[in-house]
Amino acid sequence: MKRHILIESLSRGFRTLVSRRVYLVCLILVPIAFTLFFINMMDSGLPLKVPSAVVDLDNSELSRNVTRTLAASELVDINDKLESFHEASLKVRGGEIFGFFMIPADFQRKAISGDNPTITYYCNMTYFVPGTLAFKGFKTTAVTTAGGLVQTTLVSNGIPSETAGTLLQPVVIQQQAIGNPWMNYNYYLTNSFVPGIIALMVALVAAYTICEEIKRGSSVEWLRTGGGSMLVALTGKLIPQAVTGIAVGIACQALMFGFNHFPLNCPTWHMVLAMALMVLASQAFAVTVCCLLPNLRFAVSICSLSGILAFSIAAFSFPVEAMYPEIGVFSYILPVRYYFLIYIDQALNGIPLYYSRFYYIALLIFPLVALVGLPRLKKHCAHPIYLP
Amino acid sequence: MTNNMKGISEWFTTLFKVWRREFRLVFSDLGVMLFFFFLTLMYPVVYTLIYNPETVRDIPIAVVDKSRSPQSRELTRMIDATDGIKVYDYAANLNDARRMQNEHKCYGILEIPSDYAKKLGRSEQAVVTFYSDMGLLLRYRTFMSNLTEVQLALGTKIQHEKINSLGLVGQSASAPIVNNEAFMLGDPTQGFASFIIPGILVLILQQSLILGVTMLGAGSSERRRRNGGTDPMAIPAGPATTIIGKTLCYLVIYMPICIYVLHIVPLMFSLPHIGHLTDYLFFILPMLVASSFLAQALSVFVTERESSMLVIVFTSVVFLFLSGLTWPRYAMNGFWTLVGDMIPATWGVEGFIRLNSNAGTLYEQTRPYTMLWVLSAIYFVAAYLITRYLYPTRKPVPTTVRK
Repeated sequence: MKRHILIESLSRGFRTLVSRRVYLVCLILVPIAFTLFFINMMDSGLPLKVPSAVVDLDNSELSRNVTRTLAASELVDINDKLESFHEASLKVRGGEIFGFFMIPADFQRKAISGDNPTITYYCNMTYFVPGTLAFKGFKTTAVTTAGGLVQTTLVSNGIPSETAGTLLQPVVIQQQAIGNPWMNYNYYLTNSFVPGIIALMVALVAAYTICEEIKRGSSVEWLRTGGGSMLVALTGKLIPQAVTGIAVGIACQALMFGFNHFPLNCPTWHMVLAMALMVLASQAFAVTVCCLLPNLRFAVSICSLSGILAFSIAAFSFPVEAMYPEIGVFSYILPVRYYFLIYIDQALNGIPLYYSRFYYIALLIFPLVALVGLPRLKKHCAHPIYLP
Repeated sequence: MTNNMKGISEWFTTLFKVWRREFRLVFSDLGVMLFFFFLTLMYPVVYTLIYNPETVRDIPIAVVDKSRSPQSRELTRMIDATDGIKVYDYAANLNDARRMQNEHKCYGILEIPSDYAKKLGRSEQAVVTFYSDMGLLLRYRTFMSNLTEVQLALGTKIQHEKINSLGLVGQSASAPIVNNEAFMLGDPTQGFASFIIPGILVLILQQSLILGVTMLGAGSSERRRRNGGTDPMAIPAGPATTIIGKTLCYLVIYMPICIYVLHIVPLMFSLPHIGHLTDYLFFILPMLVASSFLAQALSVFVTERESSMLVIVFTSVVFLFLSGLTWPRYAMNGFWTLVGDMIPATWGVEGFIRLNSNAGTLYEQTRPYTMLWVLSAIYFVAAYLITRYLYPTRKPVPTTVRK
């Protein structure tokens, strides 16, 4: 008898899911299209060849040499040789270049006679990534230029060239970027934003389908199909969505880790488990919201507001410990935050599962919290009132 | 002639009626008001609060010092003294340090080799290794810039000592032959909020407008369904008049909102805010017009009030990326550049950032500004065709109205 009720509920949930195109679009098409968009857009990994310019006010042998060195860098693309600072800053403000390198007048004469000329470079930091890359390219060129001149001077003063070489850089701090030595933005951003979108869409569809029953007044019948049990009715509604969501999540992971060979330094099931738990936790998050605000508009609004803020508060780019504590604390109520931490530990760093145990447990807590609110939701489902 | 005049004045009267009706619809709809006012009021503040600390300070690292010499301790002290890095603890060996990192107590490991001091004494190059966690690129970036500073400062110091001890007195010993100096434009502190908030502000304007307008459109199509194909709340007017009248209504509503979002919010948080208010407002006008037309064209996909959120919300993330704020547009392939070109916010973000942060003037933003008017024209035609052909012509208002 009980099994009969469950099957009845499940088939009702399945029928709701396929009843409207918008659910399937949101749950299947959007995450997969989004993954493809990310992978394809950031195909090159790093946006090298930042459009930049050189302002050479010296036009000497030495300054042309510096310009050639700079032009040979993979970081910047010197597509302009300009005449003045004014012209260059106009181009920055017009968006044609992200930075420029300025060699002062009388550069060669001053450099040779020991008058300490200054090379200046300007980077437009309103666009972080190209600004930083241009800065790196400019700085490397400026430092190596200075180094070369110092070395020549030292050798001409009678110091052996090997000693002169180490004197230029007595200490080197070698930086090893563990897990992503290419600084690949595709690996970095796709791995955080794709689960963010999946969590958002899963929660939205869950909240929508639950509260729509209340809006349309069909929640009484929905509850009856579940044999009067809110838990059975919810299970029947959410399991078909969960199966779809998890399958889509794994498909997105396959696109990243499988077809595009993103770093996956752990057994595959660690990430698959994380994805499955995140989908369930996102549904549970939506159920909790519905319990608190059993109204279609409010529940869906809260889910979309939090889902969009999640991209910032879950600290995909700006770390939680640097945020104000009053803001940072909200990152811990977002399922996608735990998925992201698991991803860093497991797929990126490949450390033992033991160290990520709490993140998996945290994802399991979300469904338990949702259970607490069920009686309240049941009351509203039994007496549906729609406030437009 | 008089006929023409009469026609024109009638057209304006109808336009005014559409405008007035749309006002009534907006202010009697809590959902739309939520998008138009609450969202634009709260989101800029919430986003800025998230990123307001601007930079990351004192990221913990572990140190594996195999040299244990005054020189290695000096290096550690110098690194600890940077604003970006804090030495969390010493570790006996690399394994211990890795355990600290696995337990999320630190995000980097500095390994000083046993021959560090010896090599410095022998005038050989000493190589120190730093292992960085790559979970967040902002942390790596902070590590990189701070360690480079330490390396240069320490290098210069040792260089001077060595050259002086060699007995060479001259310009080469006192100062580097060529100085270099970097200037960061637009965001001098390289802070995160100063970088991302100006772009997000513009995106909030576009998205809130699209969400609100599609919800109004969905409300109208719900009414149409209930009343046998006609919307009793709609003013009988031609498609062009309807589209323009509604857009004028949204523009009036959005003028104070724009002043708040684009002017007062940056002032509140002391974000980069150069340039003139009039420039911003003139610049943002075509973006609002284009967004309003785009939203009215998109309304065809949204048939139920609440599903506007289902369909529109996730596009915010897509639009953010298409605008080139995170991944620059010059590195996108032709297809995504073209898709980005079609989004008003792409040009809005680009132009506003340059007006707001780079002290640009309106005439320097000719390209985004022109593109916004071009998009307005395109989306007006799209909205016109959709209104004209997809929605049935309005019949006289039926006597029994179900709202």
